[in-house]
Amino acid sequence: MRGVAIWFSGAALAFFLTAGAFLLLANIATIPAEKSLAPEPPAAASQPIVGLELNADQLASLKLEPDQSLDLTVRNEGNTPLSDVNVTLSVSSENTALSVSRHYRQTVAKIPAKGTADIPFGFDLSVPEQRVTGRPASEPARGILEIKATTPDGISTMKTVILPP
Amino acid sequence: MAKPGLLVVLLAAMLLMGCTHSEESSIAPLAPAAGRVDPGLGPGTRALSSGPGYKGSPSWNPDGTRIAFTMDGYVVDVPTTSGESRRWTTKDFVATDTEWTSDGILAILGATSPTRRGADNSLYRANAGEGSLALERIARGVLAMSPIPGEHGLVFARAKGPHGSKLAGSRDGGTSYRNYADNPIEGHVSALSLSPDGEEVVMSLRPPGDPRTSELRTFDLRQREGRNIARLEGDREILGTPQWTRHGIYFVAGKQSTRLDDDSSEPLFELYCVPADGGAPEPAPGVGEDFVASSIRVSPDDDRLAVIGRLNPKSPINLYVLDPAAKKLEAITANEDMEIKTDPDDLAWSPDGENVAIIARGTPSTEPEVRTEPADRLLRDFYNLYEIPVSEASAR
Repeated sequence: MRGVAIWFSGAALAFFLTAGAFLLLANIATIPAEKSLAPEPPAAASQPIVGLELNADQLASLKLEPDQSLDLTVRNEGNTPLSDVNVTLSVSSENTALSVSRHYRQTVAKIPAKGTADIPFGFDLSVPEQRVTGRPASEPARGILEIKATTPDGISTMKTVILPP
Repeated sequence: MAKPGLLVVLLAAMLLMGCTHSEESSIAPLAPAAGRVDPGLGPGTRALSSGPGYKGSPSWNPDGTRIAFTMDGYVVDVPTTSGESRRWTTKDFVATDTEWTSDGILAILGATSPTRRGADNSLYRANAGEGSLALERIARGVLAMSPIPGEHGLVFARAKGPHGSKLAGSRDGGTSYRNYADNPIEGHVSALSLSPDGEEVVMSLRPPGDPRTSELRTFDLRQREGRNIARLEGDREILGTPQWTRHGIYFVAGKQSTRLDDDSSEPLFELYCVPADGGAPEPAPGVGEDFVASSIRVSPDDDRLAVIGRLNPKSPINLYVLDPAAKKLEAITANEDMEIKTDPDDLAWSPDGENVAIIARGTPSTEPEVRTEPADRLLRDFYNLYEIPVSEASAR
């Protein structure tokens, strides 16, 4: 009877030791606790302290030709002066098959708090000689201007202008 | 016996520790990247593309996860949920049609460096897995094509001389093909599509000596025999691809010269129906006598017809679904101020038959328009693809 009890205890001990070892290994290999992926706070992007103003009359006079000009006004909407504000102007075409992409850039040294800076831009809005693309003749491509002002802190504001053909 | 008792307690503690999971913090589900938007087409609409580009010929891949389309002539595809687009052809390629033959392979009808649009199109095969923009030519002088669902194949029509066509087919996504018949078909095929059982083809043709696409013909791919089923009279011509439903063959036809501002009481283009075994075309029942049709596409179950058109010449263009059996037309979009593109290939059903892709934009202004988003995120300002859910009521 005692032999049976010892045999039974031994078997149980072997079982528990094996099971315990596996559970221990499983715990060691467990992936670390997951952390919730909180989105980046959008505060900086949603509250720009720079503003861009475009002259509506000048916009209306733009033609899809070379030697066009546009005076931009960058406004500092914050309470501290801004320095080294990059202003970029990109020209492209609604016809994405045409490689029309021109980039212009100017840097504004300083804009006082609540103040503005006027930046004259000269640029080429011409479209290269039209080759055959999938766009029908009845759908002439419009010009696209993308204007962006960015502070050294990475805070930016942008305007996209769609120009009729 | 104290030591075995202690051992048992220790083992029990180990078991308890092992069975206890470390506390997990939940991860909030990601918000859908491309959520439902209402750009003026009605609730439930979802944008599938954004930004500039003249888009056309949408085509859903067989598993419904991607949609391909032409953009200013070249071919791109995008995931239907979210993600980056892929370009399939170079920008000097002008594609007129694109269709999936399997989830990774596109058949593209078009020309490299064409001298004029649509001239001397070839049929190409493009493979998503090859990682380059290389195309393999299947055949030259191809006039029209249609995928063969489930067989990774294509049926297409090639020009044979100035007044003839030949039907050919390729299988298993390959580039080899064979003609279905030795004798050419009289006339140039303008468009073709398959019958519900996939054993026949319906074609619209421009007969020899006729400048109009005025004839409908079927061709039995097994018997290798064709026959005329309808011929339009009175200066009317067939627009786009005829669609073979379980309740007859539907097509759009009318006088090309008719304009909306004409005082004529005749609509621009009408939707017609003809029995599959031939007969006189009749205006499609259920759409109304003033209905102006632009483009049609049969559903994957061959029981419904997506129709872009307007209820009368003065009403806005909308997407409708026609149930040919019930002779019932249902408006799917509620267009307020959008321009829905009306080219014959500018709509496509999703493989599950639950959505239709259309192309639309807001009415362009003649004055400069200023937006506060980057151009590639703008929707209404350019032609873009929209997924329109087809209501349960129209699903059979």
